[in-house]
Amino acid sequence: MKFVCLNCETYMNFEKVEKPGENTLGVFFGCPSCNAKFSMVTNPGETQMVSSLGVKLGGRTVEAEPFEMTRGTLKAEATAGPSQMAAYLNEKIQGGQPAAAVTAATSGTPGEKSSSGCPFSAMVAEMGLTSSGKPGNAGAATSEFAWSPDAKEKLDRLPSFVKPMVQSSVEAYARKQGYKTITLQVMDDSKNDSSNGTTWTPEAEKRLENIPDFIRPMARKEVERVAKERGMATITAQVMDDVKEKFLKFM
Amino acid sequence: MAIEKDLKAILGKLKYSDDAKVAQQMTEQMRQVQVRMAGIKHKLVVMSGKGGVGKSMTTVNLALAFARQGTKVGILDVDLNGPCVPRMLGLHGQSLTMGPAGAIPPVGPLGVKVASMDFFLDDASPVRWKGPMDVSPAWLGLMEMNVIREFLADVVWGELDYLLVDLPPGAAADKPPVIAGFIPDLAGAIVVTTPSEVASDVVQKSVTYARDMGIKVMGMVENMSEYRCPSCGEVNELFEGNTEAMCEALDLPLLGRIPFDRKLARTFDKGEPLLDETYPTIQRYQDIGGRIRTLLDYKTVLADKL
Repeated sequence: MKFVCLNCETYMNFEKVEKPGENTLGVFFGCPSCNAKFSMVTNPGETQMVSSLGVKLGGRTVEAEPFEMTRGTLKAEATAGPSQMAAYLNEKIQGGQPAAAVTAATSGTPGEKSSSGCPFSAMVAEMGLTSSGKPGNAGAATSEFAWSPDAKEKLDRLPSFVKPMVQSSVEAYARKQGYKTITLQVMDDSKNDSSNGTTWTPEAEKRLENIPDFIRPMARKEVERVAKERGMATITAQVMDDVKEKFLKFM
Repeated sequence: MAIEKDLKAILGKLKYSDDAKVAQQMTEQMRQVQVRMAGIKHKLVVMSGKGGVGKSMTTVNLALAFARQGTKVGILDVDLNGPCVPRMLGLHGQSLTMGPAGAIPPVGPLGVKVASMDFFLDDASPVRWKGPMDVSPAWLGLMEMNVIREFLADVVWGELDYLLVDLPPGAAADKPPVIAGFIPDLAGAIVVTTPSEVASDVVQKSVTYARDMGIKVMGMVENMSEYRCPSCGEVNELFEGNTEAMCEALDLPLLGRIPFDRKLARTFDKGEPLLDETYPTIQRYQDIGGRIRTLLDYKTVLADKL
């Protein structure tokens, strides 16, 4: 924001900001040439946006204090809290009749309706459970494979949004292997089947077991990535050494 | 005196100078956040899809676990409207000490430093901002983000090994991942969930959203896994869920499980946290803390163990 002295055809200088009242600012400018002074007074809210950004009007002249904005904008106490506002409205609009009673009388019927039924039904619905307590059967797609009862049970125990993902990956594996029935064994095997087609020598696989189990999948991916970079389809002890070498540099 | 002046012609003759430098002031704000956080080795955010899963309890106990391992730890409680970290650590009623260099945070048990909105508020009084916040929620959002920025820019943490940031609850459409995006060189996010939450898709949403924001999700902590009856000692499941399967599907490590422990929770409610490291639930937090440290140093672990 700038002002131009039209008489002298020059920018006026920003001089100071004052607070003539709550929610309003007075910004003072002076012409360096004819010495004319004036103050611009903002309407409530007009400068609030800028100060909400923690930005100083007219530019920052002194260093910001710690928590300047937080401390500056926190209300010291509730001056006009909702209860006072309600009292005021009650006085002006309802003519002394308690506002709360009016609200209750008008909203009584619909409120009653919405609160009917089991109090936990909303929670149950939110959790994606049916009233029988089992996960909703959202992902029960028809399958070209026969699932053994135990495998089916394991699949059904999965969260509904995970189920389709797992089902399709297990079935893709089964298709690749030429299986018709999916058993627990097939499910487990499909987990260890690397999607990118890399194979691990027993020696390399054994060395991976030195890694704590919860970061092992991460390590596996990292090793496979390095192998892919070097165009190797089999993870050998050599690849493992290369990865080790790579990470030694970070120590 | 009423001369018709051509403003464009006048301005053309004048040398323009931008005194307010709004963009520069805002760049400076972000630079200050960076400078302030430079002394912190690992910055972690703790988030959840929903509220009430025990995010603050997890944050506080992980901080204590790190501190027990001899590291310097800070907790930033950015839940502006429901700050509870100070109360849990017995720091309620204390305040940040304002000085020329910034705000010095109070120090809680085991040397854990804490910054929280709670330090600006009186008992039982909510956060109330001046200005027409009731006119538009957008205004409030702007305000709150800037308050969070001040928390990141103005607290004198000094040298820290870990800063744990307790984010307000929320999933995709909410702010938490955006807040996390504020933090320079963020090491990653820890997602807290309960087995019941697993049944819905909020966890997946928050994980996906965090990843979209470029935040590395380090792993998941399952809270309220089971309930130990205080009178008979029997352990029962509280909810039905399959966190393991979900972690697998989301390709995330399950960092650990924490039982619902009324005895431990009570000590935090009273602001006199139990610190005994031989206590079983605390040991679980120690294990999770150890796993997080391994994840942060996974390159070293790979170089060492492979």
